[in-house]
Amino acid sequence: MRYLLLKKANFDDFISSLAQIEKVVAPVSRGYNSFSFAEVKSGKEITLKYIPTVLPPKKYFMPQREKLTEFNKAENSVEAILEYEKMVIFGVHTCDLAGIQCLNIVFSDKPKDINYLVRKNKLVIIGLECNDYCDQYASCKVVDNHLPNGGYDLFFTELDDSFIVHVNTGLGEEIVEKTRLFIPNDQEHLNKLEAIRARKREIFKEEVNVKHKDLVTLFNDKAFESKVWEDLDKRCVACGNCTAVCPTCYCFDILDNINLDLNTGDRTRRWDSCQTEPFAKVAGGENFRKTRGMRQRHRYFRKFRYPAERYSRYFCTGCGRCTRTCMAKISLKETVNALAAEQKYKK
Amino acid sequence: MKPRVAFFDFTCCEGCQLQMANFGEALLDILNLVDVVTFREVMSERSEDYDIAIIEGSITTDHDVERVKKIREKAKVVIAYGSCATIGGINGMKNKFDLEEIKKYVYKDGAKHFSTIPTRAVHQVIKVDYFINNCPVYPPEVIKVLKAALQGIPYEVPDYAVCVECKLNENICMYDKGITCLGPVTKAGCNSWCINNGNICYGCRGMVSNPAKNGQMDILQKYKIPLDWVVNKVDMYNKPRELEEEKPKK
Repeated sequence: MRYLLLKKANFDDFISSLAQIEKVVAPVSRGYNSFSFAEVKSGKEITLKYIPTVLPPKKYFMPQREKLTEFNKAENSVEAILEYEKMVIFGVHTCDLAGIQCLNIVFSDKPKDINYLVRKNKLVIIGLECNDYCDQYASCKVVDNHLPNGGYDLFFTELDDSFIVHVNTGLGEEIVEKTRLFIPNDQEHLNKLEAIRARKREIFKEEVNVKHKDLVTLFNDKAFESKVWEDLDKRCVACGNCTAVCPTCYCFDILDNINLDLNTGDRTRRWDSCQTEPFAKVAGGENFRKTRGMRQRHRYFRKFRYPAERYSRYFCTGCGRCTRTCMAKISLKETVNALAAEQKYKK
Repeated sequence: MKPRVAFFDFTCCEGCQLQMANFGEALLDILNLVDVVTFREVMSERSEDYDIAIIEGSITTDHDVERVKKIREKAKVVIAYGSCATIGGINGMKNKFDLEEIKKYVYKDGAKHFSTIPTRAVHQVIKVDYFINNCPVYPPEVIKVLKAALQGIPYEVPDYAVCVECKLNENICMYDKGITCLGPVTKAGCNSWCINNGNICYGCRGMVSNPAKNGQMDILQKYKIPLDWVVNKVDMYNKPRELEEEKPKK
């Protein structure tokens, strides 16, 4: 829609005035080079230069525990429950914007997930550009997420003493009006923004030995039997960290909880992980993905092949979280490269 | 008629029963559902007529074996309560030593008055219907299991690592802080209680049924942690697991 400018000197005021209107969450340092999205009241609490947070902002879009219905056995009644909270999420990197877009696609697919779609509309997203790589684990270029590609209300790019802000939606305009801190930009600022983007096109290189368009074909039927998965089988400890931190893992389990009156209760969904032992276990004790290698393979196919076929989009956002968090140092980039080498793929 | 509940203690510190006594408001709700007929720690009355037996403590003498078998005969439902009852717990450390020697070390001249057998978890002696792990028990899980027992439906102790819950709590991994933690091999269900409060996981819930031996060894190597160090940590709560490993596989 249009660009505006926010002086860095006014950033603290911007967050504190925003926090007076809405709940604001943003990346906050947790020590040990770790960050998490948490509620903030002022700009000082925010770390602007951060590597991807432990959990992605998906935790606000699909809460870890979410009540779906409440029931009463004696009255034989069930009531649908919609839980949401209005919120502004500040500082979302382009990888995480892509993650939210993936979740939007999945939960809009039939049957539509009303709880998700209602909640999503209560969340305002302010993006924040990475002017450089966050660390060696990111692979955002190969999945084409290193540059902004929509999915935000406002988008901040850091210039010298100011942020140039892309106002993308009506909700974004509302924030501009309510906080009254944004000023018009000059052509000079747009030139600087273009220079940053031009530099990024230089720095960001496809991080694996495979071209963007060929990733899907790499995960072919033959790759299903690859030795790569046997290697991962020996290394993975099934701690479920990779799926918990993934911005596009959306698997959930649904549980009925009864209250201590043994009459009323609720039906709740909670995050699940395909990496755990019981995930693919069914009645009778059969387990469809018995080994850790089979479960890791499933995770990779679930990022690079199945969604590419169904939604024409990779569900890896290149954020690097799975590699960063893995106790066994299983690396997404290494796995993709190993598959490519095995298939004698030439770029 | 409300189900009649009796508490029993074997070798333990009775801290898990104390947890129950400390439940607060939820205890009133529980008392609406059951009649507590025996609970040495909180009441003087006792009864031999009960439906649900909640057993704290591990089995460490021949007398214990006899007594726990009698409880099983009387109770319709047996709940193993706390680490000592579910996995043997710290009493299991005894199994590392020659029993006669360790008895003398503890009781000196009085040793001749005591009999002792290797520490066993309750299910290693009698059939157990429900397991409430943890040292001490984790109140939200106690309520979950009680509700399952009262409805007559099973309760599955999560068979995946504490890490699964720990990551959801966005804790910084202890290994990244340079501290050894038993989360990767310990059954979840406690919502990573200790790590949320700045402590490590001591493995008090017992080990997952299928720990990744190769992968775990890689991790120890990467973080330069000696194996026997970790084994010692695991043994603090989990020594009696070996009694099961020795059993021939079906």
